[in-house]
Amino acid sequence: MQATIERAALLKSVGHVQSVVERRNTIPILSNVLIEARDGGLRLMATDLDLQINETAAAEVATPGATTVPAHTLHDIVRKLPEGSQVEISASDGKMQVNAGRARFNLQTLPRDDFPQIAEGELPTRFALPGATLRQIIDKTRFAISTEETRYYLNGIFLHVADDGGPGSPSPVLKAAATDGHRLARVTVPRPEGAEGMPDVIVPRKCVAELRKLLDEADGDVEVSLSATKIRFDLGSAVLTSKLIDGTFPDYNRVIPTANDKLLRLDPKSFMQGVDRVATIASERTRAVKMALEHDKVTLSVTSPENGTAAEEVPGDYSAAGFEIGFNARYLLDILHQIEGDTVEVHLADPAAPTLLRESGKSAALYVLMPMRV
Amino acid sequence: MEQAVNDSVGGPPLRKIIHVDMDAFYASVEQRDRPELRGVPLAVGGGGPRGVVAAASYEARKFGVRSAMAGAAARRRCPELVFVSPRFEAYRAVSAQIRAIFESCTPHVEPLSLDEAYLDVTDAAPAHGGATAIAKAIRARIREDTGLTASAGVSYNKFLAKLASDHHKPDGLCVITPAKGPAFVASIPVSRFHGVGPVTAAKMKRLGIETGADLLARSLPWLECHFGSSAPYYFDLARAVCHRPVRAHRERKSLGAEDTFGEDYRTEADLLPQLHRIAGIVWERAAPRGVRGRTVTLKIKYADFTLNTRARTLPAPVRDQDELFAVGAALLRAELPPPRGIRLLGLTLSKLGDDAELAEPIAPELPLL
Repeated sequence: MQATIERAALLKSVGHVQSVVERRNTIPILSNVLIEARDGGLRLMATDLDLQINETAAAEVATPGATTVPAHTLHDIVRKLPEGSQVEISASDGKMQVNAGRARFNLQTLPRDDFPQIAEGELPTRFALPGATLRQIIDKTRFAISTEETRYYLNGIFLHVADDGGPGSPSPVLKAAATDGHRLARVTVPRPEGAEGMPDVIVPRKCVAELRKLLDEADGDVEVSLSATKIRFDLGSAVLTSKLIDGTFPDYNRVIPTANDKLLRLDPKSFMQGVDRVATIASERTRAVKMALEHDKVTLSVTSPENGTAAEEVPGDYSAAGFEIGFNARYLLDILHQIEGDTVEVHLADPAAPTLLRESGKSAALYVLMPMRV
Repeated sequence: MEQAVNDSVGGPPLRKIIHVDMDAFYASVEQRDRPELRGVPLAVGGGGPRGVVAAASYEARKFGVRSAMAGAAARRRCPELVFVSPRFEAYRAVSAQIRAIFESCTPHVEPLSLDEAYLDVTDAAPAHGGATAIAKAIRARIREDTGLTASAGVSYNKFLAKLASDHHKPDGLCVITPAKGPAFVASIPVSRFHGVGPVTAAKMKRLGIETGADLLARSLPWLECHFGSSAPYYFDLARAVCHRPVRAHRERKSLGAEDTFGEDYRTEADLLPQLHRIAGIVWERAAPRGVRGRTVTLKIKYADFTLNTRARTLPAPVRDQDELFAVGAALLRAELPPPRGIRLLGLTLSKLGDDAELAEPIAPELPLL
């Protein structure tokens, strides 16, 4: 194998693939990236056996061939090579040489034939989503993904389609939902052509994180293909293939309140800043912030046995009966960070009932937050 | 006189604590019930290749056989050692008898195990002719009611009472008065102190501390430098000071089970079924008592007897046996492949409460399931 590639192009591709590679591996070859030189380009591939990334980068290929080298080491090397340099890569006798400028590296390799590959199988459902839509889906839901391994079926974003988006919204939709049992986030977008009849799937957290990084650099449409067990995101030069979480996502619609009769309207920015300020003294463990609702006014407060107290008044539109309710400040901030407009609606019932937050009745995203006892 | 000394320094009223400990308990029960075992070096516990000695008779102890020793090691020290299987129903019956004797003296009884308890007789002592008289009466009644011997220690705190009961074992009584406490502590090896295990004892030895007197000679800052947050505890022990109360209703802090396997295992395929079985045992013990816990601890003992523990605390109590197993399995998988074969696995549930206490967590969940 022998090829020459621009350092910047190589850095971008190696940067993408190395982030899939786990830092600690019991199977040595999973620490490696597969590099294949063929028809005018380099193909790079890495996997953790659940998630696989394929990258292609333009290169001058003198002799086609393939080998595998440690991904994190290669990434560190390429990062430190002189900017603008041409990188020569060649492999022979169980070693891979990387030469750029006056620097010479000779890396240990493992045989390419030992490199595992996820068998995609048939991916019968295919549709295209604009990169911006996919970014929105991920940003507005991923913070609610559970990290509790025992509830593995909550460790991802749930994607499913429906023929309508509920009362008053007759056209077909694609919905994305995530929850950790304390909060729930859901985004609804028009169902893309080709997604009809697709199976319900749960996309794992790591795949979501890698996809989101790739979306920073991709503007066009993303081709999504999936079966009940695998999903593939084709972004052009990068293709991400992941196993899906084998589990049943709970019927989350049951926890979305429909009859919360107390409506509070606030400026999301001053609300967020107020919560952030009073939460400064909240105890690390509970992070509870209390909201006392009165006519057109909310008083945020935190009482910490160790630290003291904090309070801040936030103006708002509120005309229902006054009461007090508590929330985890971090959960509240996570949601408020995703509110883009100049109003946030908080639909409340009582201090123990799930509370609904959204920009308006027309917004794509809605959030449900379980109160805390304060 | 003791009272006067104490009052003069303005401390809390002097306590009277008794520690009672049955002599070679399991082994003695076996020798009582089976005359042919009397006078014979006896070990209660598994005599198989992987068994562990649960208790050794005094005849066996002469050969250096100790409880918690591997059966094979015990046999090496004493080739004629006789092994019998434990009969826990018999031990529990005796335990109930001695508990009744303790409770006839004072309600302040803190059982440590089936055969060992602390009694706080500060209130009861004046009416019974003093703490020493109570200890004598308890030993006599234990012999009368059970046909077994117990050793007792009498002193003014738990630390000294326990050291005292051990001092004239077996069938002994030892009283340590406040005047004698510090000198007694100075004379004994630190390895016998409550809270100084083999690892700490070895570390102290490296630092030149072998007896209570050696420990007394060290300053608190010096101890803090070497023992961190445990330093004040050791500092107090060296001065025969111990404020731990006798707690009549000790709350259970954890509940668990463990098992030593017939052979060493290395693979998930071999280990997970074992873990599943152990999770079942733990849950069977926890469920009927309404005990629920948030922390799951996995214990791994390797072929070379090194120990590894891994724990995870959940946001809410473990719901069922499947979740207990799932958490245990996740902890175990992170340790695979193991550096050596695994001979023992254990699972423990802690951060306990009962259903009522944990029913309403501070952070309630969405009614998803």
